Amino acid sequence: MFDEEGYRKLFVEESRENHENIVNHLLALENGEDQQTAIDEIFRSAHTLKGMSASMGFDAMEHLCHSMEDIFSLIRNGQREVTASLTDLLLTCTDAIEGMLDTIEAGGTPSDEQSGSLVQELRAFTEEEAPDEPKAPHDAAPPEPAGEADGHPIYTLTVAVDPSSTMKDIRAMLLLQNLQEIGTILSTNPSQELLEDGKFDGPFEILIESEAGEDALRTVASGTEISLLDLSSSQAPQAVSPVVNEDAQTPEPDLELQIAVPSPQAQRVTKSEKSREIKNIRVDIQRLDRMMNLVEDLVINRGRLELIAKKHGIKEFDEALSMVGRSVSDLQNLMMGIRMMPLERIFNRLPRVVRDVANHDGKEVELTIEGGETELDRSMMDGLSDPLLHIIRNAVNHGIETPEIRAASGKPPKGLLRLTARRDKDNVIIEIEDDGAGIDPEKLRKKAVSKGLMTPEAAASATKDDLVSLLFEPGFSTAETITDISGRGVGLDVVKKTIASLKGTIKVETEVGRGTKFELVLPPTMAIIDVMMVHINGMRCAIPVSNVVEVAQTKADAIHRIGNSEAILLRDQTLPLHRLEDMFGRAEKSDTLVVLQNNGRRCCITVDTVDGQQEVVVKPLSRIAGNCRGISGITIPGDGDVVPVLDVNTMV
Amino acid sequence: MGRILIVDDTMFMRTLLKNILFSGGHDIVGEAADGAEALAKYRELKPDLVTMDVVMPNVNGIEALKAIKAANPAAKVIMCTAVGQEQMVKLAVKSGARGYIVKPFQAPKVLEEVKNVLSA
Repeated sequence: MFDEEGYRKLFVEESRENHENIVNHLLALENGEDQQTAIDEIFRSAHTLKGMSASMGFDAMEHLCHSMEDIFSLIRNGQREVTASLTDLLLTCTDAIEGMLDTIEAGGTPSDEQSGSLVQELRAFTEEEAPDEPKAPHDAAPPEPAGEADGHPIYTLTVAVDPSSTMKDIRAMLLLQNLQEIGTILSTNPSQELLEDGKFDGPFEILIESEAGEDALRTVASGTEISLLDLSSSQAPQAVSPVVNEDAQTPEPDLELQIAVPSPQAQRVTKSEKSREIKNIRVDIQRLDRMMNLVEDLVINRGRLELIAKKHGIKEFDEALSMVGRSVSDLQNLMMGIRMMPLERIFNRLPRVVRDVANHDGKEVELTIEGGETELDRSMMDGLSDPLLHIIRNAVNHGIETPEIRAASGKPPKGLLRLTARRDKDNVIIEIEDDGAGIDPEKLRKKAVSKGLMTPEAAASATKDDLVSLLFEPGFSTAETITDISGRGVGLDVVKKTIASLKGTIKVETEVGRGTKFELVLPPTMAIIDVMMVHINGMRCAIPVSNVVEVAQTKADAIHRIGNSEAILLRDQTLPLHRLEDMFGRAEKSDTLVVLQNNGRRCCITVDTVDGQQEVVVKPLSRIAGNCRGISGITIPGDGDVVPVLDVNTMV
Repeated sequence: MGRILIVDDTMFMRTLLKNILFSGGHDIVGEAADGAEALAKYRELKPDLVTMDVVMPNVNGIEALKAIKAANPAAKVIMCTAVGQEQMVKLAVKSGARGYIVKPFQAPKVLEEVKNVLSA
């Protein structure tokens, strides 16, 4: 029906939220948490997905969601139990939905193949036992003569409901209700009960007593999908069935009561979530990027204006400018804040992964997640997702032992996996810690030699830290056999590379028999960082402050040549010295040293002067400039100058 | 043309409906994402008409409808529904809903129902 880009994006985004809601509540059901809330939530999300996909004309997805909704409708009524095999089937359905959403996001339309036989399988569940259908309504009461007409005019209306109407019974109900407002319905043919149950074909008759007049009756009786075929005034009441008293209706089945009274706990949770949602608006991340670029342009041009003001010495102009400057800074900070998102966004996917891997491997794992509210720049979220998945999978796959092995070593059979996130002053720290087998350094030592990564001598003298850091080398994996879950040919080396591309670092601590802990340290945002401004051979250059250890003065005699390169002895530590001549040319006098570090490794560079520290926006190099070794991007400080930002990673 | 409050828990559906109603010349005076909010917005905005989703978290559409009707018995509320929800919609009609529209929405049908309910 609609295929506009805007709808599609909104559709995908909200569908993913509902998909996630289903998965998480399926897992909650499995873990024996609050059953009623979980069932209600799954029903609601399946229903919402059905409605949305129908609106977009994605039939395959609609059918699948519809079948899921049907099952949960039965479960809610207590007519089906949630069994392990049903949970598995439903999770497979959510996978299919996820695949469909991927297709839709890529601009396609999901096909029936994507749901395969799932709809049939779900149907088999709904049809498997004959459920106790609520009894059909009682037979229509025998016709009784209508009451006194009290002298008001009486009319007979002959009315038809449009055959294409989706709910003709409700149309009939609405009509009767509207008529009741301007008169008294004496009887209908067929009976009102049959009409309300939709048990009628073709036109029906209504006998009504009303003072409103023919015109009013005509208006009311010609509503949506309703046409008035005939209106005649009749004096004598006809023998048709009486109106059923509204108040005497049998109570509605439990279905409505259950939804109408959500548990207080669920109410609290969803209330706060929902009230937050409506205060927010959704903005395409690309628009935010464009806004950010505009803010950066403002920053640059403010700098140019400041120079002009200084050059001409216009004091008034200067003052106005400083006001503008403050607004621009505030705007910039605001923009950065807007781009931040809670880590929950990616953490929410993980319980499912842990469940699947644990089930596959016959392990028992309890995953706890803390600090999901910690915020990170949106642009980093996507990059972080895969490494995190990989580490989590590894932890279950290789870290945590089977219940038997754990019991044999005196551990509780259920393994613990802790995922925590927190913010310290400059960084976001994410830890993934398991209480599994740990990594045996002796195994690493053997492997390092057999893989040719170390000579036997080097391996023999290697420290535990050296050996553990081998994990991040390409092609190095400690698992004896490659499993179909963790071992996908992607190793921790890729994880490390990805984290590094986010300007983050990764560290691992492990203790045999006690477990393994991975620590990711990430800057909360990539776009704005603190840099140290320096001059190298008369040219300006920025160094991320997070990479700077210290600044020192050198004496020529502290510099030693070692082969082709230079090194410097600084407080009993030998550090490689780089002059960056290939980048900036040879400097006449550069006697100031800056000690840099990345990932625990250090080196020195020489600079002419250190100009100070500044917060800047780092822009990536354009595609035209391509990848430039040693430079991670450029920045444009207030004066409009274009300054390269050193990529310390490539130097140490 | 009417001043309309749209109630649905997904922004997708709200947007869809908003565009349909807008194309019919109506004013969308507000949106709400659940029943509790619907009642608050109804009191605040006093719209001519409310489109009310049935299945929503927290306070569902039927409860919200009842609350709105209690606040103003003359309130005009149209239920947004889907195939399979006949029982709920019947309950809604008994509780005072004036009309219903069925998902997936068809613009002409939606506008016709809104027009009819507004002019009633």
